[in-house]
Amino acid sequence: MTSEIVTVTALPGPRASTVLVVAGEIDRDSRPVLRKAADEALSQGPGRLVLDLAGVTFCDSSGLSLFVDLHRRCEADGGWFRLAAASPGLRDMLRVTHLDRLFPPYDSVEAATGLP
Amino acid sequence: MDALDERPWLEAVQRILNRSHLWRPDQIGETVAATMARLAVEATIYLVDHEQRALRALPLPDRKTPEPLPVDGSVAGRAFALVRPIATRAGWWVPMVNGTDRQGVMEFVLPAGADPDAPGLRERCTLVAGLVGHLITTSEPRGDHLHVVRRSQPMSTASELLWQLLQPLTASCDQLTVSVILEPCYAVGGDGYDYAIDGSLARLAILDGVGKGLKAGLGAAVALAAIRASRRAGGDLYAQTRAADVELLNQFPDARFVTAFLSELDMDTGILRYLNAGHPPPLVLRQGAVVAELTGGGRMPLGLDDAGAEVAHHRLEPGDRLLMYTDGITEARDSAGEQFGLNRLVDLAEQHAAAGLPVPETLRRLSHAVVDHQHGLPDDDATLLLADWSPGASQRTVP
Repeated sequence: MTSEIVTVTALPGPRASTVLVVAGEIDRDSRPVLRKAADEALSQGPGRLVLDLAGVTFCDSSGLSLFVDLHRRCEADGGWFRLAAASPGLRDMLRVTHLDRLFPPYDSVEAATGLP
Repeated sequence: MDALDERPWLEAVQRILNRSHLWRPDQIGETVAATMARLAVEATIYLVDHEQRALRALPLPDRKTPEPLPVDGSVAGRAFALVRPIATRAGWWVPMVNGTDRQGVMEFVLPAGADPDAPGLRERCTLVAGLVGHLITTSEPRGDHLHVVRRSQPMSTASELLWQLLQPLTASCDQLTVSVILEPCYAVGGDGYDYAIDGSLARLAILDGVGKGLKAGLGAAVALAAIRASRRAGGDLYAQTRAADVELLNQFPDARFVTAFLSELDMDTGILRYLNAGHPPPLVLRQGAVVAELTGGGRMPLGLDDAGAEVAHHRLEPGDRLLMYTDGITEARDSAGEQFGLNRLVDLAEQHAAAGLPVPETLRRLSHAVVDHQHGLPDDDATLLLADWSPGASQRTVP
């Protein structure tokens, strides 16, 4: 396994947020790629992060743990962390783990960034 | 003939017990063999390996160690699996348990011409095997010998850590049997379980630490220890989960969470109280069907500050089985990518229960079905915990 199984593209979003467009699989091996991209976004912006997960085909518990970590850091910066366009499988995982209480999945990036 | 009299057997028990205070683990096999040889009985001790596929003889200094015997497809294996002594023409195969936790089997070859079914012989062999089963458990920590005999391969650091923390795989009382199986047993990462049976309460828990390997194991270890410390100080289910939150947050700032299902079954009333920290909901099985999925009591995984959980209730009926599992079971994939799935798990659990198998044997077969589904290459920890609330199930775990 190499880290090439995931790609992350950072785009500017509404309300000074950063949208990270993620494609591929998020697991223990690929998680550093996403973490690095998030670190860069958080070092420049006001802690408002959206993950566009439309292209994510798999996410394991180490991915979820990274989401929790990013959520904490965004909140600490006074911002927010939101998930958009997660697959039905990933939504199931968020529901079973009750992590949807931390970050309710939004249908789209527009919906995720529509709120202040 | 000595072996047919009761007195030499009692003397043998006495000798073994007296010697056990000072024996090293590597002397158990020869001590028991030499003691039984005084009765002209040839006794061999077999320990089951961690994967519960083969029974491995304790080596003796002056004898060639017998080849391991398969649990599936040998008389020895049958005695082990069914927790029942089995007679052969030459003697007895007797299961060896500690309490009801299956350790292995003992073979007793009687003197030529002795009838295994002679009155009292089966009971005497069971007595010696019972004693040896207990002594093996208490002597094991003195050395590495018995640990090594039980292993078919080296164990990972994470596995070594976790097995030291976990309860015996099976425990029973008059009303309840609880049994667990964990794979891959030599390379387990962050799965864990716990139980405590006191008074009318059986406390049952299953855990799954995020990630893999030793990192996951450390998370599970912290959660497990926090839950126990809180429980033993009188903490209720809610207090136990909060204690785990605090310790995990203190130790792991990087969101190292642990999913867990914590429960208390009142064995007098059948009322199960539970909290579910982001774990797949356990199932209640009755007569071949799932009658409930325990979806209440939800909160986020342990290690995330969640103060909002409320304990849920479910009432079991006598004979109900409570099945807990980690996602490594249901998500186990074959080479075509097909998941093992919940339906297959339930079907197999109920087939084995209907066949009257002891609870630990049901789990052994279930777990092997999952491993075989993956063609022996488990990708994730896969744990099953099955609790059977019936006196009959308890009796089936006693030799």
